[in-house]
Amino acid sequence: MRLALRELVRRPGRFVTASVVLTLIALLLMFLGGLLDGLIRSQTGALRAQDAQAIVYSDTAQASFVRSRIEPGLRAEVEAVEGVREVGGLGLVQLGARVPGRGPRDLADVALFGYELAPDGVPPVPGPGEAYADEVLKADGIELGMTIELGPARSPVRIVGFVSDTSFNGQGGVWAAPATWRDVLSANRPDARLGDGVFQALVVIGDEHVADAIDTATAGRTDSYTIDDAVEAIPGVTEQRATFNQIIGVTLGVAVVVIALFFALITVERLALYGVLKALGARSATIFAGLVAQAVSVTAAAALIAASAAVALDAAIPPGSVPLDVTVSRVVTSIVLLLLAAVAGCAFSLRRVLRVDPASAIGTNS
Amino acid sequence: MFLAIKEMRRARLRFGMLIGAISLLVFLIFFQQSIQNGLITSFIGAIRNQNSPVLVYSTDGQRVLQGSVITPDREALVRGADGVGEVGRIGQGTFTGLPDTPGPDATAGETFDTTLIGYEAGPDGTGLGAPSTLSQGRLPRSDFEAVASAVDERLGFGVGAVIRLLPGDVEITVVGLARDIQLNVTPTLFTTYDTYRTAVRAVNPDAGEPLPNVLAVDPAPGWTADAVVETINGRSPDLDALTRTDAATETPGVAQVQQSFAIVFLLYGLVVPLVTGLFFLIVTFQKAESLTLLRAIGAPARRLVSSLLVQVVVIVCAGIAIGTALYLPVSQQNLGGIALRFEARAVVVWTVLLLVLGVISSLIAVRRVLRIDPILATTGAGVGS
Amino acid sequence: MSALHMSDVRKVYRMGDGSEVVALDHATLSVDHDEIVALVGPSGSGKTTLCSIAGGILSVTEGRVVVGGEDITEHSSPALTRFRQSKVGFVFQSVNLVPFLNARENLLVVDELGPRRRSAARQRADQLLEELGLTDRAKNLPSELSGGQRQRVAIGRALMNDPDLVLFDEPTSSLDTALGEQVMELIRSEMKQRDIAAVVVTHDDRITRFCDRTVEIVDGHLAA
Repeated sequence: MRLALRELVRRPGRFVTASVVLTLIALLLMFLGGLLDGLIRSQTGALRAQDAQAIVYSDTAQASFVRSRIEPGLRAEVEAVEGVREVGGLGLVQLGARVPGRGPRDLADVALFGYELAPDGVPPVPGPGEAYADEVLKADGIELGMTIELGPARSPVRIVGFVSDTSFNGQGGVWAAPATWRDVLSANRPDARLGDGVFQALVVIGDEHVADAIDTATAGRTDSYTIDDAVEAIPGVTEQRATFNQIIGVTLGVAVVVIALFFALITVERLALYGVLKALGARSATIFAGLVAQAVSVTAAAALIAASAAVALDAAIPPGSVPLDVTVSRVVTSIVLLLLAAVAGCAFSLRRVLRVDPASAIGTNS
Repeated sequence: MFLAIKEMRRARLRFGMLIGAISLLVFLIFFQQSIQNGLITSFIGAIRNQNSPVLVYSTDGQRVLQGSVITPDREALVRGADGVGEVGRIGQGTFTGLPDTPGPDATAGETFDTTLIGYEAGPDGTGLGAPSTLSQGRLPRSDFEAVASAVDERLGFGVGAVIRLLPGDVEITVVGLARDIQLNVTPTLFTTYDTYRTAVRAVNPDAGEPLPNVLAVDPAPGWTADAVVETINGRSPDLDALTRTDAATETPGVAQVQQSFAIVFLLYGLVVPLVTGLFFLIVTFQKAESLTLLRAIGAPARRLVSSLLVQVVVIVCAGIAIGTALYLPVSQQNLGGIALRFEARAVVVWTVLLLVLGVISSLIAVRRVLRIDPILATTGAGVGS
Repeated sequence: MSALHMSDVRKVYRMGDGSEVVALDHATLSVDHDEIVALVGPSGSGKTTLCSIAGGILSVTEGRVVVGGEDITEHSSPALTRFRQSKVGFVFQSVNLVPFLNARENLLVVDELGPRRRSAARQRADQLLEELGLTDRAKNLPSELSGGQRQRVAIGRALMNDPDLVLFDEPTSSLDTALGEQVMELIRSEMKQRDIAAVVVTHDDRITRFCDRTVEIVDGHLAA
């Protein structure tokens, strides 16, 4: 194996070109993964942040805030269900926000939530007319203490703090008291106005399986989800994940084929050398282990370069254009998968290495 | 040509693997091309394929139909602007829809997110905001009739289907189908404006009088859409007028999708010629001796180079052919509500691009071949030494 | 005790169409521990086959092979591999040296492939390089060495594991007369000095005088 690594160091030229191709493939994997993660993050933050066991929508809402209404009577039924400890209302309205210092057509996309139970990382309900903003909105010029105007009615809301990872549907989350939210909703969306005490969804703290218990108790007039299920139910999430993972899978397949191809070519070139080594007493396992070591080294180098490029790309892309989120776990997973692909690709050359006959070393030119 | 083909036959595994790699890459490129186009169409097809040349949003709407609201005073501003001919109101909302009979891809009782787009249809349904072309049936002529997105016929939105909006008892009958008129990747119904208003009130009794989301504007005779857009926008910073094409492409998310895919295509597009070039460079090194021998016995350099290029073209074409063959059945699928299509234009463009790039990438190998000195055949050395 | 004893060895190849090719026919050969034997014959005579069998690279169809007291006739493939690591040295005609290793490292290749003796091996390599007059070329790659220097490195490598038998396959084929004689003198002195047996396969009559005796082989048969 040391032999193989020394070749790598002494004759990097051939390996460098293969490394370039693998770097591109690795970058593709990380970019695709980062795109998927970024998309899902910006769509589901607000729900993932909920520190609860269930989210309750009305039965015909198809897990959509906009189409869901929970009347006070229904809420009381939910509160009475065994296993339910605390219930908080949750309401949403998506509007454009006018930010001081920005042009009249340059609005920030905002998802205003009215909440009772604070999600993870969000402080308790602020005072009337106040709200916490997601830090992604800083890219739109929103600052602490600033008053932004929501919607066509220019409803004023003062930003008293920042939170993170609470986006919804690609829009930055803004968290306010239910009364604030209700006022903004009726002023700006008269056709979606909700009466006092009516929320679009309920956040429930209770036992683990309380979601099912609630639906049973309300005889199907509610549609309850665990937080994870509610996230998956957001339209597009499961399809995006499935599609992206398929594409990533096939790309990995390409990586295996490229590595297999490259090392098959290299092996053919070195058959004579392998013959000599075997004649000198090298076992096939030793030779093959050297091959694998080279493949893994080349792939690891490519993966590390790609990881740096992916992180640089993430930093360079302005927020709001490409929704890229390069996470450590995604990078590590990609690297591991590529290394496995490297080993798999070498398998194609195994047979040829095994078949090298040490006798070929003698009398080659006679 | 003879040498080129013979060599490929002798080393089937190697050349086969290269073709395999190229096929997979080509498949991925075409597949993602379909996804990109299908995604964008499923998001804003309704905007792109309706008949109004100009759409006026409220600035607050951020170019999203649902977020835009046209108050009466703004409507008056639009109607009074220069160059404005006919004006129609358009309302849009998302509801829960239940088809009376499930389609082949649905089960009984299954409900779907349904987008309703209400426009002032007029007596024959051809009012501003109607779908531009139909694939089946007719336009709505009275309330509670609608044209549905053709791709959703398989869910139960075919001609003759009755869709009930929940909660409440608004029922809408599908009288026609049109292709590529979805909005937000949901089954979409183009119906009359009054139907839309009734639906909104039925589903949410607390709602006030629904206002139109957007105004459809036809330029007066002698006016272009761009000119009308300017005059309307000049009337108030609260108005955001756009031509139909701009309204479609500037919907939030579309640009993001296009930018993301652009990076993906760039990377994939680079991998193909690099893999091809690398392969042929290595193979040329490996057959150095035989190449030298051929030159020594009188083969012109041209012949060796053309032999190499023949291989490159054959390989890339084979890879594209197989990749396209893999892509064909997949392109007919429905991916989570997105109708994929066989993108013939993309296939042609990429084929040319990949062929050209493939040939360019093999030029390094060509250079090596041209530098072979036949005298080396007698001394026993080859290209690599 | 003989370093190599082959008795009644037959090697038969079965061809794809069912016919048989007899590469070696009833070959009997003994080489003493300090003998240098030249194996001479035209191309296709079977000398390469005999060499391969003596070196534990090929197995026999019939007969018995004993090298350095070890009977390798029935050895399995892994056993033959271990045998080659320790008991036999090879100097091939071409592709002798690993192109990306310098002279010293080429000697140490043997140590890396078998049981590692590390510093002992390094000492031995340096010693051999000195004896072969290659100390100042130790860090050079094969491409930086002359033909004669490369052969010397190959000989050094063959001697690294202190073998009982060294097999030389056409050691002077790519060298001119003067250089060829130089290499043969070196081979002779190194073998005699260390009391190692050697078989030199060649079709070059000029170098047989450096060997103790000559054995002729024609069509798989050894002349007496």
